Amino acid sequence: MIELIQTYWVYFLVGQYPKGPLGGLALTVLLAGLALVLALPLGVALGLARVSPYRIIRWPVTALVFVVRGVPLLMVVFWAYFFLPSVTGVKTDQFGTMLIALVVFDGAYLAEIVRAGIRGVPKGQFESARSLGLSYAQTMRRVILPQALRHMLPSLVNQFVATIKETSLGYIIGLTEVSFIAAQINTQVFTRGAEVYLLLGLTYFVLCFGLSRFAFWLEQRMARRRDVQLPPQPLKASA
Amino acid sequence: MPSFDFALLQQGQYHDWLISGLWVSLLLAGLTLVFALPLAVLVALLRISPLALLRWLGAAYVEGIRNVPLLAHLLFWYFGAPELLPEAARQWLYAGNIELASAVVALTLYTAAYMAEDIRSGIRAIPLVQFEAGRALGFGFLATMRRVILPQALRVTVPPLISQTLNLWKNTSIATVIGVAEMMYQAAKVESTSFRSVEAFAFATSAYLAVSLVITGLGAWYHHRYPVRTA
Amino acid sequence: MHSLRTRTFALLAATAASLVFTAAARADQLDDIKKKGEIVIGVLGTDEPNSFVDPKTREIVGYEVDIATAIAKKIGVKPVFKQLAVAARIPELQQGRVDILAASLTHNKEREALVDFSLTTFVTGQKVLVKTSSGITDVPQLAGKKVLTVKGGTQEPNIRKAVPNVEVVTFETTQQAFLALQQGKGVGYVNDEASLVNDYAKLGPAKKDYAILPTNISVEPLALGLKKGEKGLKTLVDGVLRDLESSGEADKLFVKWYGPATKLQFDKRSFKIDNDKL
Repeated sequence: MIELIQTYWVYFLVGQYPKGPLGGLALTVLLAGLALVLALPLGVALGLARVSPYRIIRWPVTALVFVVRGVPLLMVVFWAYFFLPSVTGVKTDQFGTMLIALVVFDGAYLAEIVRAGIRGVPKGQFESARSLGLSYAQTMRRVILPQALRHMLPSLVNQFVATIKETSLGYIIGLTEVSFIAAQINTQVFTRGAEVYLLLGLTYFVLCFGLSRFAFWLEQRMARRRDVQLPPQPLKASA
Repeated sequence: MPSFDFALLQQGQYHDWLISGLWVSLLLAGLTLVFALPLAVLVALLRISPLALLRWLGAAYVEGIRNVPLLAHLLFWYFGAPELLPEAARQWLYAGNIELASAVVALTLYTAAYMAEDIRSGIRAIPLVQFEAGRALGFGFLATMRRVILPQALRVTVPPLISQTLNLWKNTSIATVIGVAEMMYQAAKVESTSFRSVEAFAFATSAYLAVSLVITGLGAWYHHRYPVRTA
Repeated sequence: MHSLRTRTFALLAATAASLVFTAAARADQLDDIKKKGEIVIGVLGTDEPNSFVDPKTREIVGYEVDIATAIAKKIGVKPVFKQLAVAARIPELQQGRVDILAASLTHNKEREALVDFSLTTFVTGQKVLVKTSSGITDVPQLAGKKVLTVKGGTQEPNIRKAVPNVEVVTFETTQQAFLALQQGKGVGYVNDEASLVNDYAKLGPAKKDYAILPTNISVEPLALGLKKGEKGLKTLVDGVLRDLESSGEADKLFVKWYGPATKLQFDKRSFKIDNDKL
């Protein structure tokens, strides 16, 4: 296994770069990070739409979220691949296609996380803000969302882990992310399938497990901070 | 753009391919469910076992499986693992439907890891006194689980398990990479043979949505019929 | 309030309509390429020796790569190579994500409705590679057996036509299908003869356990793929190909990638680059 790593580690980590497009593990992480960063605003928008008091916004978005969550991610990838260019005129390569598919798919899932986060903020916050004269939009922007997003942080990191795993589907459209590279290495060395795919699994494990531990640590830290902010003690009777 | 050809989907060769794909997807999901549920219960029990070694084993299984994408699992169980078997076992295995077998193994292990966590949460939702009372009555750990805890845990666990079943249904689509002729495989085949991408993918999308709807409906019905009884 | 809502709705509707009906100006593709300063060439990158990744330099090289580079040089732009899956070649060309295909593309009647072809650059048969242990000596014996190939090419339709009740399992790349054959997951692996000979040679000492069945299940004229209706580009591409042929460069390229000194060890070309009709 050592010679395997020694021969192919560069290809595994960065693909053809700099003699070609970026690939391998670097591409996986870049794609996942970018997808999450772009999916978050979409998720917030969709999440807000899902709690909107206006039916005309709520219903279509609910339908959209339901459809996106009812089909496999691979299906969304194929939609983006085959239909996006003819509908929008935007021509993207495999990276762009995968990015768009991930943003749409994760956006729909984040919408639910955001919705839960918004619901988790005590109603009193919303009511006090409104009674102070803030409009619905201002309340959301200045009072509710900042609190909701902070509480959502561990969920977001877990979503990042999920997105990293989702990038593996780029394999199917020929994106040279780390699973594709591993498969290519495997066909070059013929007889060491178990080793190659074990190494691939280990790579994902180290990356994803590390990140979920980080999410756990974040959760612990926030729970501790919340504990510190104790409700005000009743005034002690002066002696 | 050429108009949508409904006839394509209603009879003929492409229709047959797509329908057979749907059947294989359903078969794959069904087989996996049958194997994954018992495995999930086993792993959940491992994770709450009084023995530290068993607890560690359960945790290692869940973390090891969940942090690796399903695609990598599928590739490993198809291209990697069978090669480690001795020659005779391999010949026997390859004579059968190795593609489906590898997919079921990979999907079962993957789904069971997620279901085990849901079952574990369900068990933990049952007040500790139930467990203590069972033990006080003289039941061993396993007997208490079987007779007292698990039956109560079922109601709490079924909704998240239904959610995992939904994920399983969608995950069957990834088996296309190891040559399982499920719905995605067939839809892509129809597309590359007939170049009618809209019809092929519209069929696949509707089929996935329809079954997702049924599964979600099942969950809603169960929740309505068997609401969670609070202590 | 009513008028505000109506106005907002009208604005949204107008924006949506304008997005749907935006028509791109139909300029000549050749001019576009010259303006961009680069030509995007779709290649497989997994089909030695037509286009493949040299493991040492990690660059894409090959017979078709050299031909495409010559075309880029003639236009005076930079060649940019984009790796594609077999099943993705035609959609990518149709959608304009690549300008030209140099991806072991077979020129056949069905595809003429979707894309244009350059002069045929290579002629090969399609054959089946088997393990000698299977006892199969010719194509008809594959009936009822499992063969392996790549998704989305001419291989699956061809083998089904040749052996009606064959069982076909397809994979994302030809390499995966070949690997599956080596592992014994099927009895035959279908691909273009040139690719089969290349894979056969790569086996080294294991060669004796494999054989290429003698019958061609089809004859595959490979050509460069061009977007339908782009006459300017096609004229230029055909011109470059004719020049390569007449100057002897084409023969030299054949010898470089397929000749006696390579793994394939073809003696001489059985074709000339001069024809784009079937």
